[in-house]
Amino acid sequence: MRRTRLIALLALFALVIAACGGTAEESTDTTGGEEPTETTAAPAEEPTETTEAPMVDFEGAVLDAGGCDYGGKINTITAVDQYTVQFDLCSPDPAFLAKAAFTPFGIQPAEHIEATGGAPLENPIGTGPFMLDAWNRGDSIVFKRNDNYYGQVPAFETLVYRWATEGAQRLLELQSGSVDQITNPSPDDFETIQNDPNLQFIPIANPNVFYVGFTNTFAPFDDVKVRQAIAQGIDRQRIIDTFYPAGSEVASHFTPCSIDNGCAGDSWYDFNVDAAKALLEEAGLGGGFSTTIYYRDVFRVYLPEPGLVAQDIQAQLKENLNIDAEVVVLESGEFIDKATSGQLEGIHLLGWSADYPHVTNFLDFHFNENQAQFGNNFPEIYDELKVGAAIADAATAAPNYEAANNAVKELVPMIPIAHGAAASAALATVENANYPPFGAPQFEFSNPGKDTFVYMQNNEPISLYCADETDGESLSPCQQVVEPLYTYATDSGEVVPRLATECVPNDDLTQWICSLREGVTFHDGSAFDANDVVASWSAGLDAANPLHVGNTGSFDYYAYLWDGLINAPESEG
Amino acid sequence: MVDETLPGRDAAIGGEVSRVEAFEALAANQDLTEKPTSVWRLGLRRFVHRRNGVAGMIIVGFMALVAIFAPVIAPYDPTEVLIGKEDVSKREPPCIHLLGCDESKPQHIMGTDGNVRDFFSRIVHGSRVSLTLGFSTVTVAIVIGAFLGAIAGYWGGWIDNITMRIMDVILGFPALILAIAIVAALGPGIRNALIAIAIVSIPQYARVMRASVLTIKEVDYVAASRALGANPWRILATRILPNSLTPLVVLGTLGIATVILEAAGLGFLGLGAQPPQAEWGSMLAAERNQVFSAPHLVFFPGLAIMLTVLGFNLMGDGLRDALDPTLNE
Repeated sequence: MRRTRLIALLALFALVIAACGGTAEESTDTTGGEEPTETTAAPAEEPTETTEAPMVDFEGAVLDAGGCDYGGKINTITAVDQYTVQFDLCSPDPAFLAKAAFTPFGIQPAEHIEATGGAPLENPIGTGPFMLDAWNRGDSIVFKRNDNYYGQVPAFETLVYRWATEGAQRLLELQSGSVDQITNPSPDDFETIQNDPNLQFIPIANPNVFYVGFTNTFAPFDDVKVRQAIAQGIDRQRIIDTFYPAGSEVASHFTPCSIDNGCAGDSWYDFNVDAAKALLEEAGLGGGFSTTIYYRDVFRVYLPEPGLVAQDIQAQLKENLNIDAEVVVLESGEFIDKATSGQLEGIHLLGWSADYPHVTNFLDFHFNENQAQFGNNFPEIYDELKVGAAIADAATAAPNYEAANNAVKELVPMIPIAHGAAASAALATVENANYPPFGAPQFEFSNPGKDTFVYMQNNEPISLYCADETDGESLSPCQQVVEPLYTYATDSGEVVPRLATECVPNDDLTQWICSLREGVTFHDGSAFDANDVVASWSAGLDAANPLHVGNTGSFDYYAYLWDGLINAPESEG
Repeated sequence: MVDETLPGRDAAIGGEVSRVEAFEALAANQDLTEKPTSVWRLGLRRFVHRRNGVAGMIIVGFMALVAIFAPVIAPYDPTEVLIGKEDVSKREPPCIHLLGCDESKPQHIMGTDGNVRDFFSRIVHGSRVSLTLGFSTVTVAIVIGAFLGAIAGYWGGWIDNITMRIMDVILGFPALILAIAIVAALGPGIRNALIAIAIVSIPQYARVMRASVLTIKEVDYVAASRALGANPWRILATRILPNSLTPLVVLGTLGIATVILEAAGLGFLGLGAQPPQAEWGSMLAAERNQVFSAPHLVFFPGLAIMLTVLGFNLMGDGLRDALDPTLNE
């Protein structure tokens, strides 16, 4: 903290000197070039050995965490020159690009963030294919085409977002032709959509997994034989066939195969009641035992009918293994708290939808050595994950993930059951209608054959400053306006450059240097440069930044994906 | 305020009527050894002439028979999952061969539920839960309520004050909300639902019993017993209680309907019967979102609840009319 204060004082002193000296601040008329923070910002210090000499008329901003003691991932973010940003990390991160492509890390003009006091909640300014025209509260949001867009300029002029909470109502609107595309139709309506010649069914390949978890600090789940027995004693295919929409599949591994190294190693156990009974006999529980199945009654793509699946697993445990299970539904928040802190003594039904397309988002999150959800963690798993997480090349890391996946199968901290299918639907007349595995539809590629495209989602956005939002209903419209350095491909989990032309890591993946796209202008006409990147990230990541305001001020995705906020108060840390 | 409701007086009047009839018999030189016709026998005679009451009794009787013979009537075990055993899928609509359903398909006259279980078998077995819960809860509530009401009414004073104020407090809460709070504290399950509903039902029986006792304890035959030195408990048990039962029976019959509704409400909220037990309220709750895609899954449990409650209400009304001399010629 002393160091931070010293830097802040120096910065303040420098500003006073500069103001008295009357230097030409306006020389960089594109961005202003000033780091908006007082506490951690300072003009770029000496460039590191990997950076080039800064341009003479560009004063690059810096976000400096003052070291890595705060526990987070980001050490410094430096605007090396007008079109180069350098990210120095506290530890290797092969998923850096996959995370940085997420909508909350979108770039807005530094001046705009400052002018709105760090809370551009209803008036985002970005570089995207659409710009905000009007937000009619309770009704719709209207976007206009960005004719100066550097990428593919949309074929239509107006994009309208509407919302309806009920899947049946969304489908009705689509069938009547009053909207062009909808999100999340009910799984029960999948068949209707597929059989309607006026509609097109768009599968969403968002990777997810539904699993049956155990906390191995409670008997009898402290015995690996019991866990293995249940793994083989549940007919997972029956669950998928009965309760999941078409396109869902039985999980062969915890991580879906669409993610690199997700499917490395052996496939999961086959359904084998005899083998399961034999294992229970070996464990001394041949006569069965009593336990509890905990779940929350919340619809998720990975678990569309939680109550029914819970009862089916209850029936299977009784029928196949003579295990008497009581089904207990908990309130969602209480369930998540108890499950993730390892307090549920029985079986719990939970799942995971990918935040970003990297195997670490599945395996490392669930099986790291500090995870309490499954009880005592296994070095056979997390040691391999640590090694794999420091390797950028997927093929090189494959042996580690193969070993980790095999250890998961052997030790059964949980049983992966299903990868659920989700879908969107559009009018058959819409060309190139899409719904990428990650993020929202990229409407600039779609063509409804008319001037207006109407999209209907679940709910109204909370705000349009998505650095501080987590709900999909906010992130989707944000994505149309504000762009990150990278973005997700429309048809895979790959990331593709957007505001950056490329980001290159050093050998140990602790430093990423991003070259930015030149000649890009924001919707307000101002030019995009490296200081906008630093300002946008600083507002989200640095809790001491006066512009770290947002909607709630929690900036959850900055805290979650980068392992904590810089200068976070105790309660936020 | 003391609730001197009609039922208490009705009972007293009923008692007087029987005595008047006895005197009439005497006047007619009939055999004095013949016992006078009791209020119950008279009531039964009147009841069979009330069509609504009889209809209610038939419905209740039918439901009781269904509950008793559920294992015989139901073609399947109510918890049996039919996946892999029959060619059926979840939430299949009713299939009745007599009505033209394809013979090659297994017959499920009320279809299957979300877990591919025979819905008719679950409805049939659900009657056991609802009726058992209804009868046992009301019995518990009447026993406790009548005891408290009798003591409060007979002894009066501070015992009356304390008892009835506690009853007032319980009555001050909406019954279902209080039941939810009690189940939330005790934990979900049939037994705890029974306890919760019984607790919230006690005050109404206590109040009615107290009102009856207040009226009857002043009549001559009670005063006579007291003058002869009879024990107060003996007076309560042999003189007052038998003459106070009529309003309790009527109230209890109507109360069963309320209890079944409340139990279904708790089941709907996931606080009553726990899966995989078949209970109408929880069956309704489990499939409430399928009201358009599989309407049979909400129609049949709803119909079962409605019929049973209607039956008890009609029967309760009939009993009230039959046992209330002021409503009879």
